[in-house]
Amino acid sequence: MEYDWNFAIVWDYRMVLLRGLGQTVLLAGITIVLSTILGLVLATLRDSRIPLVYPVLSTFVSVVRAVPVLVLLVWMYYCLPILTGLKMNGFTTVTIALSIYSAAFYSEIFRGGIRSIDRGMIEAGQSVGMTRGQVFQRIVGPLAFQRIFPPFVNQCILVLKNTTLAGYVAVPELLYLGQQISVRTFRPLELLTAVAVLFIVTIVPLTLLAEHIEKTFHNKYYR
Amino acid sequence: MPLLEVRDLHKSYGALDVLKGIDLTVDPGEIVGFIGASGSGKSTLLRCMNHMEVPTKGIVMLEGEIVGVTHKGDRLVPRPARDLSQQRRKMAMVFQHFNLWPHKTTLENVMEGPVTVQKIPKAEARDRALAALKRVGLKEKADTYPSRLSGGQQQRVGIARALALQPQVILFDEPTSALDPELVNEVLNVIRSLGEDGITLVIVTHEMRFAREVCDKVIFLDEGRVADMGSPDHIFGTTENPRTRAFVQNYFG
Ligand SMILES: Nc1ncnc2c1ncn2[C@@H]1O[C@H](COP(=O)(O)OP(=O)(O)OP(=O)(O)O)[C@@H](O)[C@H]1O
Ligand SMILES: [Mg+2]
Repeated sequence: MEYDWNFAIVWDYRMVLLRGLGQTVLLAGITIVLSTILGLVLATLRDSRIPLVYPVLSTFVSVVRAVPVLVLLVWMYYCLPILTGLKMNGFTTVTIALSIYSAAFYSEIFRGGIRSIDRGMIEAGQSVGMTRGQVFQRIVGPLAFQRIFPPFVNQCILVLKNTTLAGYVAVPELLYLGQQISVRTFRPLELLTAVAVLFIVTIVPLTLLAEHIEKTFHNKYYR
Repeated sequence: MPLLEVRDLHKSYGALDVLKGIDLTVDPGEIVGFIGASGSGKSTLLRCMNHMEVPTKGIVMLEGEIVGVTHKGDRLVPRPARDLSQQRRKMAMVFQHFNLWPHKTTLENVMEGPVTVQKIPKAEARDRALAALKRVGLKEKADTYPSRLSGGQQQRVGIARALALQPQVILFDEPTSALDPELVNEVLNVIRSLGEDGITLVIVTHEMRFAREVCDKVIFLDEGRVADMGSPDHIFGTTENPRTRAFVQNYFG
């Protein structure tokens, strides 16, 4: 089959596509900030000694992780308003759904990173007289950061990809707009290719930067 | 007054009684060695001394003050974190696996205690840290990260980190048992020289020859009790205690 490619259409709609990319990045940005904060809170609280906090939060994390994120989103968009009378627009709903969903993963990443720090590092801190806070600030925090960084970046990339689900509730992110234009212009091949390329040029530099930082840590401290 | 005193110290983990009533004293300038079979509670005792493990019963006294807890009426209550910090600073510890912080240079490892805990100005702490590194023969490694040092060098940095705190006593938990045999002596020589300078040392060790040469007093721990205690000549020679004799014989053949 000969297909007559016409990428001029992509150029014609460049502003729309860029607006979609803008929306995608905004959605991802807000979600990453919110879910990082929520993830930190979850990670800290789960190890707290307050009764009931641990079982409640760990159940929460397990439940959230077991639900496909699209199901969570659609449920929050269609069912939650009926159950609670609370009405939110698509953007807000996606942000909240993605943030809750991602927070469960971020919290596991943070917890795992902190727990992976050798007890000996902590004991050395105690032995010179550091308080718990100082041990965290000077020793465990920085060491855990190095461990957490790679999976953290990974999770951020997943968030960026997951924003494509926002189209299900009519938020005009990149994929949603790309599909709309392709329906209108009968040029899905060009437009969907353009969507894919825009995702790639956004995500690949992030991956490279993350790898570079990781390598810098390694070369500086462990070689 | 002894520098360090352990009174009727008990420690159990659940049903497991690890320490079953330890009494001992360490005088200023004294070098005290602890020997005993694996699992006899040597590490646990050391960790109770600086309150990294909280005793089940009994107390540890440093310079006449109870470590980690204080009297409130006739009850013992935990001390404020600041107090415990200062007490721990006075009992620096050297670990079997060095436990240097990999994200800090040698110098930063040594400076960390003085700066963070003692709040000494950076420049002064730096001088103090460099002096401590010089003391263990590693001044030229000040800007190196621990991963690039040999085990023997790492342990000497561990000793410098302890020295920089200007402690009243240094607690060593098997400082050479994670080292390749050819690296053991460089560390033992540093420890020996600290003793010659009059620093009070408490050393858990499996190096019997070293204990015999260097210690003023050797304590044999057996199943969570002080089974025998005395001069090296007593422990490694004249003791009548059959358990001590059997244990020591194992090493000297
Ligand atoms: N945190 C803990 N929880 C439970 N049991 C412990 C704990 N720490 C130590 N033990 C137990 O206490 C006993 C004494 O341990 P300890 O490490 O003090 O022995 P040790 O004399 O230092 O031995 P080694 O020569 O092997 O270092 C062991 O049976 C050990 O399993
Ligand atoms: Mg031990």
